[in-house]
Amino acid sequence: MSTDTETRGTLGRLRASPFLADLLTNRLAVVGLTIILGMAAIAVYARVTYDFGALTSSQLGTEITDRAPPGWLGPAPATQQLFGTDAAARDIYKRSLYGAWLALKFGTITVGTSTTVGVGLGIIAAYYGDVTDNVIMRTMDVLLAFPPLLLALALVAIFPRDLGLWRAVVALVLVYTPRFARVVRGAALKVLEDEYVDATVALGATDPRILVRHILPNTLAPITVQSTLNFGLAIIDLAALSFLGFGAQAGTPSWGLMLSRGVENGLLTGEWWLSFFPGLFLAITVLGFNLLGDGMRDALDPRMREAVD
Amino acid sequence: MNWTQFLFRLVEPVVPPRFVIKRLLLLVPVLFGVASVVFAILHLAPGDPAIVIAGQRASTEQLEQIRQELGLRRPLWEQYLSFLWDAARFDFGQSYSISRGNSVRSVIADRLPITLELAIYGQAAGILLGIPLGIISAVKQDSITDHVTRIGALTGISVPIFWSGPLLILLFSTYLDVFPTSGRIDSTLFLPETWTLFGRELPLTGMITVDTILLGNTEAFLSAAHHLFLPAVVIGVYSTALISRMMRSSMLEVIRQDYIRTARAKGQGAKITLMKHGFRNALIPVVTVIGIQFGTLLGGAVLTETVFGINGMGLTIVTAIGVSDYPVVQGTVLTFALLFTLVNLFVDVTYSYLDPRIQQ
Repeated sequence: MSTDTETRGTLGRLRASPFLADLLTNRLAVVGLTIILGMAAIAVYARVTYDFGALTSSQLGTEITDRAPPGWLGPAPATQQLFGTDAAARDIYKRSLYGAWLALKFGTITVGTSTTVGVGLGIIAAYYGDVTDNVIMRTMDVLLAFPPLLLALALVAIFPRDLGLWRAVVALVLVYTPRFARVVRGAALKVLEDEYVDATVALGATDPRILVRHILPNTLAPITVQSTLNFGLAIIDLAALSFLGFGAQAGTPSWGLMLSRGVENGLLTGEWWLSFFPGLFLAITVLGFNLLGDGMRDALDPRMREAVD
Repeated sequence: MNWTQFLFRLVEPVVPPRFVIKRLLLLVPVLFGVASVVFAILHLAPGDPAIVIAGQRASTEQLEQIRQELGLRRPLWEQYLSFLWDAARFDFGQSYSISRGNSVRSVIADRLPITLELAIYGQAAGILLGIPLGIISAVKQDSITDHVTRIGALTGISVPIFWSGPLLILLFSTYLDVFPTSGRIDSTLFLPETWTLFGRELPLTGMITVDTILLGNTEAFLSAAHHLFLPAVVIGVYSTALISRMMRSSMLEVIRQDYIRTARAKGQGAKITLMKHGFRNALIPVVTVIGIQFGTLLGGAVLTETVFGINGMGLTIVTAIGVSDYPVVQGTVLTFALLFTLVNLFVDVTYSYLDPRIQQ
């Protein structure tokens, strides 16, 4: 550890935070973070480089062979495609890479929205208590009474098909929000017991000011962990809904949909590459978020730890 | 002890304590809310049930007649009240299309045991493997065993069932041809509807591995087990990963407690302390997690059934949503929610026996 004045700036502040210091010494968390950053780089690369139209529309009738095995597999009809081609002669490598963009984009929207709404509801329930608390939390209880994926399945039925992945996003936001609300309410109730909140009230602070300036910052740690762990879940669930036929529209290079097409077209004929590669990308991404989330939970203030499930 | 005390001792475990009754009463508003959500879903869903039933080519008069029969012309509040009344009696009417003419109740009665069987095997594998793995991992913290178990568990929860399932089918069915790709039993085998016990005909359970044992049909049992093996492995690995993770962190917390140190200081052996004091206390949070993750497990069963072509509740709900068979969607979703709620009630009660402080 250097105490040089020049490293004092950000690094010094970083070290001053035991949470970040613990996190960075946790090797698994660093691996997780690396995976996520790598996937994000892939996502941006694919988004910028590839032509979305060519990835979604069928390439049958062009010179590209359909269901061709990966090029490096040997003498069989040599293909240029690293991961082979699918039943519509589309390049699985490019589609898998583009899938990272879709997964991270829709995952971020899903987790971001449910975190924001859940945090708002949780803090309001904790702060106002009484009827407000009861109305909010009993509604959350009802949503929590459904097995998560089944509630999502029932909800996607409401939305028109052409909404594509968006209907999966809306359904999953309704599924996840109650979890955030519950975690945040618990954390906020603990903060409210602290004397400085009373002091702030005595000083005449307004409700919004207390909520945003004093309670919210002190519940951020469990929220961050919950969001990270939920990110992995959201990416799996989005893919699951697409896999079951209630997410991405036909042709979209989403991992879940590619897997379902792979199962349909290649499972019994042994064309493993149709489902192997998209699933591999999906599993690695989810593992990245779970590794990071686990590391964050370990690094978290032990008093807050029990608030996160 | 006089005889009244003795009698009371006998029935004591059967009489639900006030805590359980309170929890049961709290279920009522939740289930009411659940039913309302399900009702709302049906009425917000696009599409006209009459068209789903009669088809696009039906005449206006036919459609109107069906709407009248289904009560869709009645005011909304009347439909809502009659739905609640029907739901309370577990009556969801008849299936529109996937099992046309049959009551939703009979569809559920046919398919629920199939899903339960899968979920029970998955959950059992998870408990039997996950709990010991979690304990070993915690006791040997930071050893190679611990690292392997932890990374294994993290991988287990990160790999989606709809990827591991197809890969297993590719390897063991398509390439090695040692397991069937789908179905529940060889198509050449037929099972009767009932079985006989002491000369009385009794209905079968619908869980195929149980039924084949009840019938004493070894060949059918082996075929059923053969078919169930891969799906059970997929769901069992997932549940093992979830439970071992929780067991590890719970056990780690407990073995740092003062009472463990006290027991050791009093000269009690390490193993006995661990099992007597550590295990029981570490189990408390794990019981809760087993309850919560039962919901995830039911979602896992839906995906497993879809991958392996098992016609249980999961595949039913997926098909029903696809063809807008709303009574079936309502009935299955409500059944899943009820099942999940009851499992959590059971977990809460178990929890209160493990940790009596909760009851207050």
